[in-house]
Amino acid sequence: MSDKKLDFDFRERLNKISGGSHHNYCYQCGSCVAICPAARFNEDFNPRDILLKTLLGKKEELIGENSIIWKCTNCYSCYERCPQDVRPIEVIIALKNICREDGVLPETVDKFSETISQTGRSVVVNPTVNRRRSSLGLPELQNVPVDDIKKMLE
Amino acid sequence: MAEKIRVTPFWGCMIPVKYPQMELSVRKTMEPIGVELVDLEGFTCCPDPIYFKARDKIEWLTIAARNLCIAEEAGLDIITMCSGCTSTLLEVRFLLAEDQELKDKVNEKLKKVGKEYKGKVKVKHIVVMMRDDLGIERVKASVKRPLTGINVGIHYGCHLLKPSQIMGIDDADYPSILENLIQAIGANPLTHTEKLLCCGKGCIDDEMPIDMTYEIFASMEEANVDCMGLICPTCFNSFDMGQIIIARKKEREFKMPVIYYCQMLGLAQGLKPEEVGLHMHRIKIDKIMEMISKPKKVNVAV
Ligand code: SF4
Ligand code: SF4
Repeated sequence: MSDKKLDFDFRERLNKISGGSHHNYCYQCGSCVAICPAARFNEDFNPRDILLKTLLGKKEELIGENSIIWKCTNCYSCYERCPQDVRPIEVIIALKNICREDGVLPETVDKFSETISQTGRSVVVNPTVNRRRSSLGLPELQNVPVDDIKKMLE
Repeated sequence: MAEKIRVTPFWGCMIPVKYPQMELSVRKTMEPIGVELVDLEGFTCCPDPIYFKARDKIEWLTIAARNLCIAEEAGLDIITMCSGCTSTLLEVRFLLAEDQELKDKVNEKLKKVGKEYKGKVKVKHIVVMMRDDLGIERVKASVKRPLTGINVGIHYGCHLLKPSQIMGIDDADYPSILENLIQAIGANPLTHTEKLLCCGKGCIDDEMPIDMTYEIFASMEEANVDCMGLICPTCFNSFDMGQIIIARKKEREFKMPVIYYCQMLGLAQGLKPEEVGLHMHRIKIDKIMEMISKPKKVNVAV
């Protein structure tokens, strides 16, 4: 009965990622579901279920660019509620980090992040931006030290 | 004269680039209430607590720690104007205090740019600085034109309050900080059913964020709100531009003015709407200005 076997390798891998190891504390109470806005607005989303799949090591159902984990709104309500300090959102983020390691990050996430790594800002500054700023009497925006970022991340 | 507060503003990306009117409103309103803003060079994106953190948490921690170092070196505490920046900087501060191994790992990377994170700098959202360091009374004392009779529908947003273990700002279920600040400028904070609902911005889905903001507008409309008050540029985007999208996708126009708290404070301090950049909003605020300029028999708040 291979489908009943737990994938401990996957869980070991998750344990090593910052925020990932707290998945071990989940006792499936469902408190996170009651407060979760993503669950309220999308019946396929359920943080308790994501944790269960994680505990069972069901990697294929969690890791991928179209995985349900990307529907999490990052609201931190589950972190607030969980009686076990699972910090479910941080587990979801650790799962997302695994998506990156496995090369299955959604394009929007990758592109947006790349703008930050390459320019130091999440929104690109163009001449229109500075025109709008000066119309308000605000100084032009200077370049940010993106070389520092590149050095640290290399 | 009460003591001046010196802090460094961490503007982030959304405010200076997309919504400079918010920066303007902070610069204009803080001086009269005794806050000196010391701009420092070298800050980058906080970085973003949603996508960037989802891609690589260690990179996220490192860039944030570098930003914290800059203020630390200058011996100044940070004020943030965006809930996303607040979330990143406070969480990174928390994680690096909680986990020495993680801190060592991050400091290893910071060494490459000649920095070391020590963990001394404090970070506060501007509304928290107003409540805790300045005091609501000083905010009140700066009011020249109280916004009497204006019903404000507060949108807290998620990242100011949660997780309370890290943010330590207010009760996540029964917050009062924004209610108190809205009252301080003479307006009336109205409660509504979806006051604490997330704007959905962090969710990768075509429908869900629209459904969520729609619920929030419907809830505010039911409560007879005159305008929406908030404290985060990302939430602002969801609700100002968001109304244009809702009108297109759901064929419903709410026409609800959306105002950043310091813009509201500016109006109460007697500034004109253009002086706090309110002319730049997609949803026009004329209705609010009419209400403010109507002669009223009220006592000026002291
Ligand atoms: S994550 Fe926490 S709140 Fe959710 S089911 Fe597990 S123990 Fe319960
Ligand atoms: S952070 Fe994600 S999983 Fe947690 S309550 Fe919010 S939407 Fe649900």
